Amino acid sequence: MRVKVLFHSYFKDLTGCAETTETLAEGVTLGALHEKLAAQFPKLGAMKKSTLLAVGVDYQPREHVLKDGDEVSLFPPVQGG
Amino acid sequence: MIRQLIITHDPIDETALLADRKMSAGMGAVVYFLGVVRGEEDGQAITAIEYEAFQKMAEHQFNLLFEAMAKRWPIESVRLVHRIGVVKVNEPSLWVEIVAPHRGEAFAACQWLIDEMKRVVPIWKRPVASTAVG
Repeated sequence: MRVKVLFHSYFKDLTGCAETTETLAEGVTLGALHEKLAAQFPKLGAMKKSTLLAVGVDYQPREHVLKDGDEVSLFPPVQGG
Repeated sequence: MIRQLIITHDPIDETALLADRKMSAGMGAVVYFLGVVRGEEDGQAITAIEYEAFQKMAEHQFNLLFEAMAKRWPIESVRLVHRIGVVKVNEPSLWVEIVAPHRGEAFAACQWLIDEMKRVVPIWKRPVASTAVG
């Protein structure tokens, strides 16, 4: 299955891109995708503990099972206001 | 509960927002808050902050917060404007207004909404150095 991954804020600088597409096995979790991306983009890996994860427009736990066509977002702590 | 959410590149027009206020006879409190860009960030002088939003998720998360507010306090109206893009020092980046029957719930809801926004709404800021602002 394929999922689209979006990087927001300075995570775009850490990865050098705003988005990428990942091909994953069925049943892969959000946490597993995060681990894969952290290995793929070492600067992103260094921010792993503070990274927020969302699928679509909702935050999801690392145990969340992804499905084909999902749009996953990774970003640093938010700072509105 | 009336809800109005605007995430915009345009400057916040306080006069127009105040002129557009609507409240019923039972309402006794209006609290509004203005968040303004300071000229210093982490001890460094700056001239602006550039705000970035993941717009569709920000709208969704704001709406979840509005729903939670409606369950917790008897609020008649919430209006929130958040600027994105470059906001210069002394200009407002955030405008929030709560209309409620009494001041206690109006203050509490306004404080809670801003605190929660800073926790869950995907908006980020980047300080802009003086040489980068036109």
